[in-house]
Amino acid sequence: MSELTISRRGLLAGSALLLASTALPTIGFAQTPKKGGRLIVAADSEPRNLNPAIVASNGVFFISSKIVETLAEASFDGKDGLEPRLALSWEGTADGLSVTFKLRDGVKWHDGKPFTSADVAFSALQIWKPLQNLGRTVFKDLEAVDTPDELTAVFKFAKPTPFQLIRNALPALSSVVPKHLYEVGKIEENPANNAPVGTGPFKFAEYKAGQYYRLARNDAYWGKDEPYLDEIVYQVLPDRTSAAAALEAEEIQLAAFSAVPLADLDRISKVPGLKVITKGYEGLTYQLVVEINHRRKELADLKVRQAIAHAIDKDFVVKTIFLGYAATATGPVPKNDPQFYTADVPTYAFDVAKANALLDEAGYKRADDGKRFALKLLPAPYFNETKQFGDYLRQALSAIGIDAEIVNNDSAAHIKAVYTDHAFDLAVGPPVFRGDPAISTTILVQSGIPDGVPFSNQGGYKNADLDALITKASETLDTSARTELYKEFQKKVAADLPLINVAEWSFISVARDTVRNVANNPRWAVSNWADTYLES
Amino acid sequence: MNRLRRFFRSPEAIAGALILALLMMMALAAPLLFPGDPQAIAGPALLPPFQDWPLPLGTDRLGRDVLAELFHGARTSLAVGLAAAAAALLIGAVVGTSAGFAGGLVDEVLMRITDAFQTVPSFLLALAFVSIVGPSLGVVVAAIALGAWTGPARVARAEVLSIRERDYVAGARVIGMHPLEIAFREVLPNALPPVLALSSVIVAAAILTEAALSFLGLGDPNRVTWGGMIAEGRTVLRTAPFLSIVPGVALVLTVLGVYLAGEGVVESTAVRRSLS
Repeated sequence: MSELTISRRGLLAGSALLLASTALPTIGFAQTPKKGGRLIVAADSEPRNLNPAIVASNGVFFISSKIVETLAEASFDGKDGLEPRLALSWEGTADGLSVTFKLRDGVKWHDGKPFTSADVAFSALQIWKPLQNLGRTVFKDLEAVDTPDELTAVFKFAKPTPFQLIRNALPALSSVVPKHLYEVGKIEENPANNAPVGTGPFKFAEYKAGQYYRLARNDAYWGKDEPYLDEIVYQVLPDRTSAAAALEAEEIQLAAFSAVPLADLDRISKVPGLKVITKGYEGLTYQLVVEINHRRKELADLKVRQAIAHAIDKDFVVKTIFLGYAATATGPVPKNDPQFYTADVPTYAFDVAKANALLDEAGYKRADDGKRFALKLLPAPYFNETKQFGDYLRQALSAIGIDAEIVNNDSAAHIKAVYTDHAFDLAVGPPVFRGDPAISTTILVQSGIPDGVPFSNQGGYKNADLDALITKASETLDTSARTELYKEFQKKVAADLPLINVAEWSFISVARDTVRNVANNPRWAVSNWADTYLES
Repeated sequence: MNRLRRFFRSPEAIAGALILALLMMMALAAPLLFPGDPQAIAGPALLPPFQDWPLPLGTDRLGRDVLAELFHGARTSLAVGLAAAAAALLIGAVVGTSAGFAGGLVDEVLMRITDAFQTVPSFLLALAFVSIVGPSLGVVVAAIALGAWTGPARVARAEVLSIRERDYVAGARVIGMHPLEIAFREVLPNALPPVLALSSVIVAAAILTEAALSFLGLGDPNRVTWGGMIAEGRTVLRTAPFLSIVPGVALVLTVLGVYLAGEGVVESTAVRRSLS
């Protein structure tokens, strides 16, 4: 009987122990992640094709990067800014003609079949090179992929290809899809494009149009104990203003990609239980760019382009339009890029008087109504900020006597007007810098690109010097020589202004305090979330 | 004169007329009070109202003067409302008179076309029209008129059907007037009053449709419109609600003013008719 009596001391000791045990995980820095739970995330678009090997874009990655994995992922502290995923190591030969990947052992596709080098070879040759929007340029000289054994893939290039470029391309361009599902029928029409099958920590479970995507835990994932979450649900909230309300009402736990409008961040950062996170997008820098149609004779004049550059108050753009969540740009490579950026380029200070003088010099005097000439301005409709910058640019141009007429279009019509019909004089575009200028940046100024390729030089700009430099850099194997060439490239672009780089911005996540391991790599929102967990 | 006195006997009509007069004054005075571009950046962004006297209603996301935008927006709203209503009434009167006066096959064809237009929701029609042709002020006016002419056409036709049997029309025929001349010089002017009574409803609807189109980003982006102001304010609704409230209130008052004044006109004419 005596054993059952509860003494005061015993009770105290026992409850203290209990208290301590619950308190411990929050005291320690390296806490053990909690398993289970459902993470509900806001999604602002519903991509139809979820195959990241074909459509390498952030909208697709946001969902499918949890299902389909790449060979390597970006990392804050890994070597060359990378950490292994499906590949354990990668090595390029000195002649730039081959790259060898050692693959992870014991990885299984969601349908139970083993993952092998044949899947990598198939994805690279049949999808990345011929079909992928970005892979078409990076892997254009890929000739063959040898598979000496099940865990080795050797990429063979017809022409020397810089290993640095391949390395930088791995996080975004190397999504591996299962060969056994894609080898029959047309790849573009494969049902797995809409219900992807991969090796990732989560399996595609369900999609209800207009409502949600649901991903379920992959119990056979290769990562030890990972993933921690049972489920990820992407709640479709196309209206940006509703994401903030949904977070406050605890209907969702995370809103990435600036789903909460910038103007609301100040208010929402004060809401208890919510945190505003600016990290985790370092590898996804968007650039605010004024695209110029050089077919217009006024705009073909360098003085006019310089005048426009001088008329834009970049600080105002960063402070007022981006509310400080951006940086001013100096050239085509963003300041936060660790490898290529150089500040040593011609710059254009905000100076209306100088801009006016340049236009006078160029021979475009103000008419009696104070106007020099009229332009059509097409702001891209994808972001609030690009639209607002369009409004600002119209005002900035009117201060130097250029009468800009804004033409608003929806996304499809905008892409057609600018990149196919060239029915613009100036356009505001948000190209993405993807860690290497050769992936999606040089294409913005290079000549000879066929009509209709979106986010490329469709302004009719042609500079033989710059073209030669781009070609040379794409064939230079030595990393430091290659980097120097791209610094030269930045100088030339800033001097000749084929386009005007105004600002660089990334995104903001807002999450509940209970969501842990958020923003722990430079592409967090589009990485696999295997280590993300919910603290109850 | 009698009519005018009767109009001003009802307090609603007076309120409506006052609001409309104020709006007219705003629209006319806009370029004098706020010369230059109303979309020019005038001060710091998101300044709340009643803080800074040069900018009494504060500024929007880019630092544009909200009061200046409000005044210039009144111009757009009124211009679109009046132009769309005039266009709708003109089309409606011509179609209705032709159908009613000609009768037979012409009547059938014209009225089935009217039916077809009436079955499509007018806002949807405007939306489709603007998104295909592209947003500009003229297109917006045309798009609104396209959905609004059916009402006047039906009323005009009904009136014409009764008028064309009157003796003076028969008289005009006997003296050998051209049928077109009879239709548009003898019949139409007499059929017009009830058609015109619809104008207030059409103007109010046109102003609202224009605002809705601008709200959806299908207004003329180079002009200030109240709908566009509300749409821009919506993204900062929680932090700067005045950006949506100010143009919203202006919109409500305008539509109310147009409606009340229109009611007043209808009532004064109705009294006249019952007296005669």
